[in-house]
Amino acid sequence: MKIKKVGVIGIGTMGQGIAEMLAACGLDVIIVERTTERLAYGLKMIELNLDKQIEKWALTHAEKKLILSRIQGADHYFSLADCELVIESISEDLEEKKALFREVDRCCGPEVILASNTSALSLTEIASVTQHPERVIGMHFIYPVLKIDLVEIIRGLKTSEETFIITKSFIDDIIHKKGIMVYESPGYVTTRLITLFINEALHVLEEGVASVEDIDDAMRIGYSFQYGPFEMADRFGLDSVLAALENMFRDYGELKYRPSIVLKKLVRAGQLGVKTGEGFFKYDEEGDRIS
Amino acid sequence: MIILILNAGSSSLKYQLYNMQNEEVIAKGLVERIGMDSSIITHKAKGHSEIRDVSEILDHVTAVKRVIDMLTHREFGIIKSMNAIDAVGHRVVHGGEVFKESVLVTQEVKLEIRQLFDLAPLHNPAHMMGIVAVESNLPDVPQVVVFDTAFHQTMPSKAYLYPIPTVLYRRHKIRRYGFHGTSHAYVSTHAADYLNKPLEQMKMVTCHIGNGASCAAIRDGKSVDTSMGMTPLEGLMMGTRSGDIDPAIVPYVMNKEELTLSEVNSMLNKHSGMLAISGTSSDMREITEAMQEGDKNAQLAFDMYVYRLKKYIGSYAAAMNGIDVLVFTAGIGENSAIVREAVCNGISFLGIEIDAMANQIRSSGPREISTANSKVKVLVVPTNEELLIARDTYRIVGKDKEAVSASE
Repeated sequence: MKIKKVGVIGIGTMGQGIAEMLAACGLDVIIVERTTERLAYGLKMIELNLDKQIEKWALTHAEKKLILSRIQGADHYFSLADCELVIESISEDLEEKKALFREVDRCCGPEVILASNTSALSLTEIASVTQHPERVIGMHFIYPVLKIDLVEIIRGLKTSEETFIITKSFIDDIIHKKGIMVYESPGYVTTRLITLFINEALHVLEEGVASVEDIDDAMRIGYSFQYGPFEMADRFGLDSVLAALENMFRDYGELKYRPSIVLKKLVRAGQLGVKTGEGFFKYDEEGDRIS
Repeated sequence: MIILILNAGSSSLKYQLYNMQNEEVIAKGLVERIGMDSSIITHKAKGHSEIRDVSEILDHVTAVKRVIDMLTHREFGIIKSMNAIDAVGHRVVHGGEVFKESVLVTQEVKLEIRQLFDLAPLHNPAHMMGIVAVESNLPDVPQVVVFDTAFHQTMPSKAYLYPIPTVLYRRHKIRRYGFHGTSHAYVSTHAADYLNKPLEQMKMVTCHIGNGASCAAIRDGKSVDTSMGMTPLEGLMMGTRSGDIDPAIVPYVMNKEELTLSEVNSMLNKHSGMLAISGTSSDMREITEAMQEGDKNAQLAFDMYVYRLKKYIGSYAAAMNGIDVLVFTAGIGENSAIVREAVCNGISFLGIEIDAMANQIRSSGPREISTANSKVKVLVVPTNEELLIARDTYRIVGKDKEAVSASE
């Protein structure tokens, strides 16, 4: 099966990135969002992001037009009927995702692959509400989708070999990213390792071993990370980091996943990182660090 | 003999049908948006009006089939059946070091073209799709491939090597290949014909200046140097391509502006050249108009373009220790009298004297634009890459057919 048309459900930050990346690869994209306002906002954000790329000389105006012409909005799952693949990227809420998959399962033929962009939730549980759990799979993209060429392909308990093979070749050959195979487990590989890294950096900070700046410099310069653990956490969103840690702490029951108190405090204060302008560091509206 | 010429891009297919009795184009057209459900085919056959048709064309196999349908169409077609097509000629951008001339398509040739995918990732895979598509639609028709790089394979190593560690050449075939070879070959031959002099006794600089632009130094009919290198980015300033720059700019800018590889690639290929300097256009006609209306940036773009072209012509005269003929061709070379004049007036010390009146004349044929006194003959020779592909195909397939009949 050749995938040419892809549905994307949910046009938040990840949905925008996924839709834009797919369209840039020459695929037709249908975006489904609950309200027309959210849809319009998401499409506007995609356009702004394309403009930013033109400023960086990555795109020309003609290419931007071509990419936008491949993206269409819709307000109902029925519009996804002629897609070969549907990627869900709504917020990380198990009940909402289950309700969504129940619906989409009914609207799409049994050969359509249904993928979830979940970063930590149980894929097996999400798939359990569908009539065809064998075609449900996880595709965990990493932000920023356009730049990070890695996708975790998550196999649920009932995901078929065929579904995996089609998904893998889609990721390798059509969107030209590296797909790694992951069996279902809380946090998979990327989220589990990186959140533990951030959490340990927080413990180092709490113990007064080094300052925020110095810890970030140590890891960024010392080990060639693009960002140190604190700026990285700011960019992920401190609430997302906390949610992932709490989820793993619950599932594994091991103390090493217990979220740092400093992290909890910042989240309670609404200081969530780049998206609120302040986390461990301060950011302007463009997301550039100012302190 | 009826020959179909194809130029396959990743989502497009250009075609021309030649009747080789009189080298006449009897039909031509273009398939666009291959791979989408609303592909467009534009077709024009001799004696018919142009038609446009929108349909679903998902791959090159279907595209070639649609082209054959058009050519044999009861109303808009020009041939009775697809059996009338005797041979197919393909344009292929990169022939690497293997292909020094046009060849008949065989299993080995296809394998070689595949091995060159790395050097021309945007073009060669698409050309291959065109070849395979013809095989599946016209299994018994011989195919010929004509390479953009082949003509420049006569360059000596001192011209084609870069002064960087030679292990890079051995490992990755990093060297200068040059492009537009079909055009440089075509116009140099026609220039000699026009002057009625043997090609083997002339030092010629050919300027193919269109959307992309390159110069070639041609001595005794052979390319000894050309301005494009491993990729079509090197050399002259172009519409949106930078041409020669200090290579150290690349890592410097990547660091300062935090650019990725693909961003810096796109910057140099799509956001540079005349577009970057003028700030408004990559099209020489628009640049010239704006310049005449007093636009300073357009003037600078024009001046830089001419300056860089002049320097290349001068350096090739030095490379060959002389120049007898200067040839202009392609979009700008054939149509922009003002560019030709500015270039020629700036290198009069070489013995170039341009005839201002003759330079203004527009024509579709080859013509001389230098004065009778000019030591160097300056010509405008309209290029026709498709015709050269058709001729090569005709020659190679004709030879092959003779060989077959001789062995029978």
